[in-house]
Amino acid sequence: MTAYIIRRLFATLPVMAVVALFVFFLLRLAPGDPAAIIAGDDATTEAIEAVRMKLGLDRPLVEQFVVWVWALLQGDLGVSIFSNLPVTRLMAQRVEPTIALTLSTLVVAVSLAIPIGVVAAWKARKLVDRVVMGFAVLGFAMPVFVLAYVLIYFFAVQWQLLPVQGYQPMSAGLWPFVESLILPSVALGVTYMALIARITRASMLEVLQQDYIRTANAKGLATDRVLLLHALKNASVPIVTVIGIGIALLISGVVITETVFNIPGLGRLTVDAVLKRDYPIVQGLILVFAGVKVVVNLIIDISYAFLDPRIRY
Amino acid sequence: MGVSAILEVRDLHTQFNTLDGVVRAVDGVSFDVARGETLGIVGESGCGKSVTALSILRLIPPETGRIAQGSIRFEGNELTHLSEQQMKSLRGHRISMIFQEPMTSLNPVLTVGTQIAENVVRHMNVSWAAARDRAREMLDLVRIADARRRLDEYPHQLSGGMRQRVMIAMALSCDPQVLIADEPTTALDVTIQAQILDLMIELKEKTGTAIVLITHDLGVVAETTERVVVMYAGRKVEEAPVEALFENPLHPYTRGLMRAIPRLDVEADAAGTRPRLQEIPGLVPILTQPIVGCAFAARCELATDRCRATLPPFVDAGGGHTVACWEVKL
Repeated sequence: MTAYIIRRLFATLPVMAVVALFVFFLLRLAPGDPAAIIAGDDATTEAIEAVRMKLGLDRPLVEQFVVWVWALLQGDLGVSIFSNLPVTRLMAQRVEPTIALTLSTLVVAVSLAIPIGVVAAWKARKLVDRVVMGFAVLGFAMPVFVLAYVLIYFFAVQWQLLPVQGYQPMSAGLWPFVESLILPSVALGVTYMALIARITRASMLEVLQQDYIRTANAKGLATDRVLLLHALKNASVPIVTVIGIGIALLISGVVITETVFNIPGLGRLTVDAVLKRDYPIVQGLILVFAGVKVVVNLIIDISYAFLDPRIRY
Repeated sequence: MGVSAILEVRDLHTQFNTLDGVVRAVDGVSFDVARGETLGIVGESGCGKSVTALSILRLIPPETGRIAQGSIRFEGNELTHLSEQQMKSLRGHRISMIFQEPMTSLNPVLTVGTQIAENVVRHMNVSWAAARDRAREMLDLVRIADARRRLDEYPHQLSGGMRQRVMIAMALSCDPQVLIADEPTTALDVTIQAQILDLMIELKEKTGTAIVLITHDLGVVAETTERVVVMYAGRKVEEAPVEALFENPLHPYTRGLMRAIPRLDVEADAAGTRPRLQEIPGLVPILTQPIVGCAFAARCELATDRCRATLPPFVDAGGGHTVACWEVKL
């Protein structure tokens, strides 16, 4: 097992290298001249050229890449073109709200979606199942920003139960912190929850047909033990896989949710950096998001071995 | 039987709703199981023997099937009237069951020890530690070597024969009154089959558990059972002590089954060929249509108009041997 984890860690290196290569060239080759944007709307050609020289954007692409990677390996993601601050520091300032938002969404979505999926499978084709799965389809089809504005309209504007937008750090007290996260988490989590609930139901339905479930019932075991131990543990591998795949969904959702709710996190940083073509920030963010995704995949692969004893590495 | 019967099945009808209509999988079956006896239920695939077994435990999936009519009395209690909770406390405790497929009947993600012990915890009101001791004891009883280590193994680490031993250990862990074994050896090698059957019979003698052995294999019936119920198309056609059935099969269907057993004691002729096995001509009737008269009439060489029109009643041939056939001359 330890050997497998070490091997898998090494296998992430080429993945990250390809990601680095990809983000670097994708942004350099995209249309739009960063030097012109930084220099401003009224800048003369000379001024634009001066900016280009200063940032090294006039060097050959390969040279820019080598310089960038060398710095990257030393943990230096570069300096923001606009604010002149190190990218790592900008990210560090913005990371807390994003971690709070994604973790709360993850916990809430998973802890609601799995019971919902289990109940739906247990009561398959009955009323509960149809209602729940109807909502799941709706939830999956609803764009995050639409849901976000609907939630804001009712819960914040009409009923004034929760803040319209903004973020309170944990240091501001537990309730303000939680309160500021409720609507964004729901908006972000509904799609994710719908996805997990549907997979849980499908996976459970398949497992409930198996001979060993009949055996468990023939032993007279209580329904909850049959469902939650005998069936759910067998159904867990596809569920965990989708939870992992859904992390990508969450990352893209964070960008939108933070914008709608005006949360100063990495998602907002991404939008701002993209709009300003602040290359170092965008590159740094994509690398961080890709790194998160790689780590999540690793955790999921390892979890399979704990969930299903037949899987050995 | 009467007084000593622990399980009495009377006029059981179990039906399934399918797209083609209502399937009468079990259509008026009655039999008794006496304390400590081994009863064989024999018939070809689809004759309703497994459904009969599942009906006794009320494990027919309610979405598709139901016990439409009839009575199942166990130790004097009418099982068809019990609540689901009451049935649950009976299953795996007073009546337990083992299945055909040892490869798929054990949960792949739980250890063997957990799967046996949970049954004990569920029904015997003991701690997990005590249940684990009981599980180890049961593995010893079904002669699995190194039981203590095996408790922590998963089903995929065991062979098919071992898994069926685990199933037996699990089924017997709460000292049931009745063990229903649905084709317990069909999926196993012939040598393993014999071991498993011997084990079941030995444990039956030891524990006094009655066994209902469901099989399509007349060889298994001859070797292990005391009494036999022959089923055809959801109905019982003949019932007899095992010796009587093999010495003097009365129903044309039972006779057909006997003729379809390969025999080594029949001499080959000069050319070295043995007589061909005789099959029963025709096919099992479609169960979505109600069968008028004798279910076997369409395939029976003795069938008359009366057979096709009226269901034959059971007649007593003496010594507990009964048969439902108009043409049997006693």
